[in-house]
Amino acid sequence: MSTPSSDNFPVRRIRWGVIGSYAVMIFFALLYLGPLLMLVNTSLKTMPSFMKDATSLATELHFENFREAWTKANFPRYLLNSVIYTFSATTIYILAAVFVAFPIARGYVKYSGVILTLFVIALFLPPALIPQFQLILNLGLYNNPIGYVMLFLVNPIGIVILVNYIKTIPRELDEAAALDGCGYARFVWTIVMPLIRPAIATVIVLHAIGIWNELIAPTIYLTSKEYYPITRGLIVFQGVYGSNWPTLAAAVLMLTLPMLILFLFLQRYIVSGLTAGSVKG
Amino acid sequence: MSYHFGRGWAKLIPYLLLLPGLFFYFLISFGPSMATAFYSFTDATGIRGAPVRWIGFDNYREFLFMGRASLDNLDALKRTLIFSFVVTTVQFTLGLIVALIVNQKLRFSNIFRTIYFMPVILGVVIQGLMWSLFLFPIGGPVAKLLALFGLRSEFLGGQPAEAFAWVIFIQIWANLGVTMMIFIAGLQTIPSELYEAARIDGANTWQVFTNVTWPLLTPSVNTNLLLNTIGSLQAWQLFLVLLGYRNGTQVLGYLIYATGFGQTSGSVTTSFRQGYAAAASIVLFLLVLVIGMTLQQYLQRREKRILG
Repeated sequence: MSTPSSDNFPVRRIRWGVIGSYAVMIFFALLYLGPLLMLVNTSLKTMPSFMKDATSLATELHFENFREAWTKANFPRYLLNSVIYTFSATTIYILAAVFVAFPIARGYVKYSGVILTLFVIALFLPPALIPQFQLILNLGLYNNPIGYVMLFLVNPIGIVILVNYIKTIPRELDEAAALDGCGYARFVWTIVMPLIRPAIATVIVLHAIGIWNELIAPTIYLTSKEYYPITRGLIVFQGVYGSNWPTLAAAVLMLTLPMLILFLFLQRYIVSGLTAGSVKG
Repeated sequence: MSYHFGRGWAKLIPYLLLLPGLFFYFLISFGPSMATAFYSFTDATGIRGAPVRWIGFDNYREFLFMGRASLDNLDALKRTLIFSFVVTTVQFTLGLIVALIVNQKLRFSNIFRTIYFMPVILGVVIQGLMWSLFLFPIGGPVAKLLALFGLRSEFLGGQPAEAFAWVIFIQIWANLGVTMMIFIAGLQTIPSELYEAARIDGANTWQVFTNVTWPLLTPSVNTNLLLNTIGSLQAWQLFLVLLGYRNGTQVLGYLIYATGFGQTSGSVTTSFRQGYAAAASIVLFLLVLVIGMTLQQYLQRREKRILG
């Protein structure tokens, strides 16, 4: 242990480890940023320059691709639809979810364990696709924004996350508030809600991203163009402009950038939502 | 579980307020899931008001044992298993490696972590279109890279097997971040004293991994394996964005959608055969159930053996 060579050895080995780690991290980063950079580059090129050499750097910046995509693709309308669907379904869902999760976590309703299990097994149930369609069809809500929003009023994982979080809030609080004459609904609304804000934020973000990115439901349920959310709009746009990559890339990028910015702010909530309960098993 | 907010009728208030959430769940999710079994024995179509007749096991018989079409179905089933197996094993292994590397707390490692997680928020449409462009066969970046090695590929427009392989790759690319994050969450629960103790005992990096990290990571291993397996058995949306309903590439999830809601593939247009699609849903469900339960059993026994 005292020879110089063995003293140096660990130092050098750690160095190699660090270099190797960075090499792997950079390799993967290229795999993730490459498609994004290609998107940016293509969106700034003209069609002839793209056809000549797809990967060459854009020498002049052709922002008209963005203008063309924005106007021709009817994006403002689709974006507005997406915002409306996401906002309304998430709001209704979270309000209902808190009033489901709280009494379950506290045992204020009978069979709360059974009810929770019902939500947990949702992951393993058969796909609901076909009967869901029959339901919406027979309710006369096919190609109807209300029927579409209805589909997103459920998210079992969110209930589980809320229940777990509410369990960390001391019961004494309930007692104290009740003694002060606070009613149940007011207690949940004004005291529990603010206390479980981190869990609510996580669930809202998870649920909203799911609705925003949904592609299958609008394909099945919405046939009128004026009801399309942005995902469906983008696929339709691809169908028409599929070969005009500069314009299509501009369209995709216009949707990607706001999501990426939002992501940087909300990352914490997304991560905690996706890893919820994973550590304990 | 004493209830503090009043007596008598007031005790019913929590039930009343719980009802909307429960109602939505039963109406939109739980009920329809259960009804899938019922519809699988009928000839339901997607036409409003059309009569729905009970036809027993006909859909299943047709799905599994009737000529050319059921051979295609069995191919789709086999493909689903291959897809799930490859995606799960590769995503699990790479996710673990990347998590171990990122978790070393090297400089900038948080930035790298964020980059890998990015596709998760973008959703299948953007993921798919991004890669359609990146895999542009004429002078696209990957095409050029392959050309350096004298290789050529049609990528998503190539032979079915090749296109299928690219979808597997993109599926892993898109979801690696989730696997990584779950592993990182698990790694952060391992107390650092254990690493120090192992080092003092003279363990090398590999021994530390096999004796400390791997066994203590068991909960994250279980979560990732179960989530990835079940998720990839049911995944098919990237196929829709990247390939469309193309012969030789279908998986069960896509087949259910295509038969239930009509889908054009070349010159063939399928009709709205919702009873048949429901039967296919049940086949997929049984597949998920059997594989999921077996895996769960195995993982639980393994966890008991390791963590006592």
